[in-house]
Amino acid sequence: MEEHKIGVYVCMCGTNIAKVVDCDDVVRTASEQPGVVCAKTYKYMCSNPGQEMIVADIKEQGLDRVVVAACSPRMHEPTFRKALQTAGINPYFLEMANIREQCSWVHDDKQVATEKARALTLGAMRRVANHQPLERMSVEMCPDALVIGGGVCGMTAALELADGGNRVHLVERESTLGGNVARVDLTAPYLDSARDLMSSLVTRVEEHKRVDVLTRSQVSSLEGFVGNFTATVETIWGDSASVSQFKVGNVVVATGYKEFDASRVTYYGYGKLPNVITSFEFEKMLRAGRVQMKDGKLPQYIALIHCVGSRSKEFHTYCSRVCCMTALKYAQEVKSAIPSCYVSDVYIDMHAFGKGHEDFYRRGSEAKTLFLMYGKNDHPVIRKAGPGDDCDMLIEVNEKLSGETIEIPADLVILMVGMEAREDSEAVARLVNISRDKDGWFIESHPKLDPVATTTDGIYIAGACAAPKDIPDSVAQARAAAGRILARTIRGVIDIDAVFAEVTEDKCSGCRICNELCPYSAISYDADKKKSSVISALCKACGACVAGCPSGAIAARHFTDAQIFAQIEGVLA
Amino acid sequence: MSFEPKIVGFLCNWCSYTGADLAGTSRIHYAPNVRIIRVMCTARIDPTFVMKALTDGADGVLICGCHPGDCHYSEGNYKMMRRYPLLKQMLADFGIEPARVRLEWVSASEGQRFADVVNDMTQRVRELGPSPVRTALIQDMAER
Amino acid sequence: MAIRVNPKLIDELEVYGAEDVQNCYHCGNCSAVCPFSENPYIFPRRPMRNLQMGLEDKLKGSLEPWLCYYCGECSEECPRGAEPGETMMSLRRWLTAKYDFSGISRLFYRSGKIELLAVIGAALLTALGFVLWAVLRGGSIYSYDGPNAFLPAESIHIFDWVLAGVLLVLLLTNCTRMWWFTMGRDKTLNASVGLYLKKLYALPLHFITQKRYAKCEKKRPWAVHLVLMLSYLIMLVLIMFFLAGMSASTIDWRLHVFGYIATVGLLGTTIFALRGRIKKSEPLYAHSHETDWIFLILLIVVAFTGILQHILHRAGLDAAANLVYIIHLMGVVPMLALEVPFSKWSHLAYRPLGMYFSLVRADAVRRVPEEAAQPVIVTQRVVG
Repeated sequence: MEEHKIGVYVCMCGTNIAKVVDCDDVVRTASEQPGVVCAKTYKYMCSNPGQEMIVADIKEQGLDRVVVAACSPRMHEPTFRKALQTAGINPYFLEMANIREQCSWVHDDKQVATEKARALTLGAMRRVANHQPLERMSVEMCPDALVIGGGVCGMTAALELADGGNRVHLVERESTLGGNVARVDLTAPYLDSARDLMSSLVTRVEEHKRVDVLTRSQVSSLEGFVGNFTATVETIWGDSASVSQFKVGNVVVATGYKEFDASRVTYYGYGKLPNVITSFEFEKMLRAGRVQMKDGKLPQYIALIHCVGSRSKEFHTYCSRVCCMTALKYAQEVKSAIPSCYVSDVYIDMHAFGKGHEDFYRRGSEAKTLFLMYGKNDHPVIRKAGPGDDCDMLIEVNEKLSGETIEIPADLVILMVGMEAREDSEAVARLVNISRDKDGWFIESHPKLDPVATTTDGIYIAGACAAPKDIPDSVAQARAAAGRILARTIRGVIDIDAVFAEVTEDKCSGCRICNELCPYSAISYDADKKKSSVISALCKACGACVAGCPSGAIAARHFTDAQIFAQIEGVLA
Repeated sequence: MSFEPKIVGFLCNWCSYTGADLAGTSRIHYAPNVRIIRVMCTARIDPTFVMKALTDGADGVLICGCHPGDCHYSEGNYKMMRRYPLLKQMLADFGIEPARVRLEWVSASEGQRFADVVNDMTQRVRELGPSPVRTALIQDMAER
Repeated sequence: MAIRVNPKLIDELEVYGAEDVQNCYHCGNCSAVCPFSENPYIFPRRPMRNLQMGLEDKLKGSLEPWLCYYCGECSEECPRGAEPGETMMSLRRWLTAKYDFSGISRLFYRSGKIELLAVIGAALLTALGFVLWAVLRGGSIYSYDGPNAFLPAESIHIFDWVLAGVLLVLLLTNCTRMWWFTMGRDKTLNASVGLYLKKLYALPLHFITQKRYAKCEKKRPWAVHLVLMLSYLIMLVLIMFFLAGMSASTIDWRLHVFGYIATVGLLGTTIFALRGRIKKSEPLYAHSHETDWIFLILLIVVAFTGILQHILHRAGLDAAANLVYIIHLMGVVPMLALEVPFSKWSHLAYRPLGMYFSLVRADAVRRVPEEAAQPVIVTQRVVG
C-alpha cells in the first residue's frame, strides 16, 4: 500500500455538528491513524477561510489525500473538490464523511453520535487512501442533427436547429411533410387555419439551406454515441431505393402518433352504420367544405362522442388530451356551416386545461351545443332509428347530469378517437435506444424536470410520440429539444464524466454478461478480440456491470471494490 | 451494558441517500446503529460487500435503493432485486439469520420512512443478538 | 325506457323569456345558494337540465317553478351567466300557457302585441259597453252616486260578481289541469284524499303570508310583494263586499282607512316595481317580458284611477269622477278577465297550489308500504 499524506478536517458547522458531536475527539482519533499529517477542526469548512486553510495545508504540507467530515457530500463535494484543484492536486483525492445530515442532526446522545462520527470519518480515511486520480475527457461534438419525423414538431425542431447555425437532416417516412396536423382544417381554440400554419412551416423547411429533407425515408440504423452518431437512412420511391449515411451529434425523435381504430369499439357501429365517422374523417369533410351524411343529405342532428379508445379499461386508460377541445371546435364549425343543425356533445369530463380553453368551452355552450355527460364505464349505445323517426340514428345515454336515461337523435355521429403510439414506435425505440412505457409512449429522462431528454445521451424526444399533446405543447417541446442541442453543440466538444466503468482487457473472459446488464448499451463487444469494452462517453457509472462481472474484470472508477472494502473496514473499526 | 448492534448501510446516491439526508434536514431522529456507505446505485452492490461487512464485525447489513420503476439508471434496482434472494439463500446456508440482511426501497422524499426502516431494523438485529460471524471470529482470535 | 331528447324546446322557451340556458354547465351553484331548494325539489338546476334536454313532459308536470320566488340569487351566483332565475320565470310563463286549455294564454305569451291588442280591445269594449248601458239607462254623467248615478254601485256590484264567477270557473279549470299534469296523471303517486286534506292548510298559509319568500337573503322583495298582495286583497274585499259603501256620499271611516291603506300599498309597490324594472335594480327586474309590463301598467292605471275617482268625487267633481271611473273599469276588466285566467295574474292560484301540491307529493313519495314496516326483534344478551 502506498504511503499517503492525509489531511482530516472536521467541520463544526457552527453548532450544527459541534452541539452533538465532539469534534475534537474525532480529530484526536483521526490523528492517531497512520498516514495522517494533519487533523483539525474548523467552524465552517465550506467558507472561504475554511477552504483556504485546506489549500494552504495541501501546498505547505504536501497533502495528497483529504478527508472532510462535515455535511452531506451532496451539499459540498463540488466545493471541496474545487479547493483541491486550486491547490494543485486531483479533485478526486477527496472523500467526505456525512456527520451532519446523517449524524448530528438525527441523534441526540453525544457519546453515541461522536462514536458514529468517528466511525464514518475512519471509513472515509480508509477509502480515500485508495482513490485514484481521474481526469474528465472531452470528445468532439458533431454539430449536425438528425430529426426523425416531419410533422409540426419535427419541422419546428429542424428550423430551430437550422436557424441556430447547425445542419439538420430531417427524415420523414411519408412522401410529404406535415404529419397529422396537415389533415386538419382549423385548430382549437382560436380556429386558425391549420393549412396556413403548415404551409408556412413546410415552405420554410424546404427552402432552408441548412435543412436536408429526406421524404419517403426511414432511419435504418443509428450507431455511436452522443456527439458521434452515424445514421443510415433508406429512401424508397416506387421500385428503387437509395441509402445515405451521415454523421450527427444529436437526434430528435418526433415521430408523432396514430389515431385509435374506431372499429374496435363495437357498440358505436363504426364500419357498420354509414353515418358514424371518426374525427379525422370529419376533418376531411370540413376541408372539402361539405358537411353531409353518407347519402349527401344535410344532417339535422349531429352528435359528438368523446373518449373513443381513451379513458377506458378496455382500450387505453389514458386521456388523449386534445379531443375535448377538438369536439368543441367541431360543434362551432357545424353551427357556422349549418346554423339550423342541432349539435349534441356526449362527454365524460370536459378537459379545458389550456390557454383559451375555458372561453372556448363557453363559446361552445353559447352556440347552443347540448352537453350530455356519460359515465366512464357506462358508454352510450348507437342504433339505427325507425322509419317514423326524423333522424337516422338514436343514441341511448345514461345521462349523469340529469340522472335520466335518454335518447338523442343523430344524423351524423362523430367519434372523437384518441391518440395511440404508432405501430413502428417499438422499432424506433430500439433504433435509438430509448424505452417506452406501458402505453407505448417514449420515456423521458424525468417526467417533471427533464421532459425532452432521454436516458440515452444525445437522443431527445419531442411532441406526441412521448405522450398525447396538442400543437402548442408539441412545438414547445420541439424548441426545447433544439435548444438543448444547440447549447451543447455551441461548445464544439462534449465532456465525459470522469466516473465511469472500465474493463481490464486481460481479465475479460468475453462472456458478455455485462453487455446485457447495461441500461445504456454502453458496453461494446469486439468479436475479433472476444473482449467487451466500455464506451466511456455513454457510461453513467451505475455499477451494474461491475457487480455482475464473474471475472471481476470491470472496475467502477471512484467506486472500486478496494475503495468500498476499505470504507467498510473503516466504519466497523 | 446491553448489546448495541453495528449495522452497515449501503444507500444508493439518488434516492435513499438523499432520503436519509432529508431525514437529517427534517431533524427526524432515529437509532444511531447504521453506518452509511454511499454507492451510485444498488446495482453496484456486490454480494461480497455484504459478506465483507459481516466478517468485519457488522451485525446486520441494510441495503436501500429507489422504488422499482424509479431507478435513476432505469433498471439498477431490478438487478439488485434479482441478486437478493440468492444472497439470502447463501446467508441461510452459512447459518446467518436472513433477517440480518435487508433490502428496502426508500425514495428521495421519504425521510421519515428511512428513519422508520433504521429503527425497525436496529430493533430486529438487537433482538437477534451479536452476529454469529462476529462471535465465531472473536472466538477464533481468542483461540489463536 | 329512454326519454327522447328534444333540442328544439329551448327555442320555444326563448319566446317566453329564457335566455342563455345553454350556457349552464351544471356546476350546481344555483341550487346550492337557493334558499328554497331542498329534497326532493332541487332547483333551478334540475329544471335547467330538463329544459336543455327538452324533456317537455317532465317540465309540464314539474312543481319546481312555483316553488321559486325569483330572489335572483341563483342568477347572481351563476359563473356562466346562464340566468337560472329568469329561466325559472320563463318556465312559469310557459306552464301558465300550458295549463290554459283555451290556447289564449299561449297566444298572449308568444306575442306581447296580441296581448296588448286584446287588452286595448277589451278596454274599448268595456268603455263602449258601460257608456252605452249608462246612456240607455238614462244615467247622468254628473251623478256619481244616488239613483241617477252614471255607474250605480249595485249594478257594478252585480257585474263584478258575475265577472268573478266567470274568472273563477276559468281559473279553476286551469288549476284542475295543473293538478292533472303535476299530480293526477302520475300513476306512481300514492296520494290519498286524506293526505290532500292534511296539507290543505298550506294553501291559505302561503297565500296570505308568503312566508317562503321571506327565506330569501334579501327581505325587501318579500316585503314589497306582501304589501302589494295584501293591499290588493283588501281592495278586493272592499270592492266585492262594500262597493256601495265606497261610492256613497258619506263613507264609513273604516272603509276610508282600509281604502287608503290599500291604495298607498298598491300604488307604492307598483311604482317601486315599475321603477325597478326600468332601472333593472334587482336581479328579478333585470329581464322584463311584455307580459310583465302589461301587468304592472294595468295595475298602476287601475290603482291610480281608483283613488283619483274617489278624490274627484269627494271634491264634488262628479263628472270627472265618472270619467275616471270609466277609465278605471277599462283597466279593471282586461286586468281581471285577461290576466287572471290567461296571463301573469294566474300565479295567484298556481303558486300556492304548487306549494300545496309539493307538500302532498313529497309526503306521498316518502310513504313506506305498510307490510315493510315490521319491527325487527333483537335478542340482547346481557353480559354479566
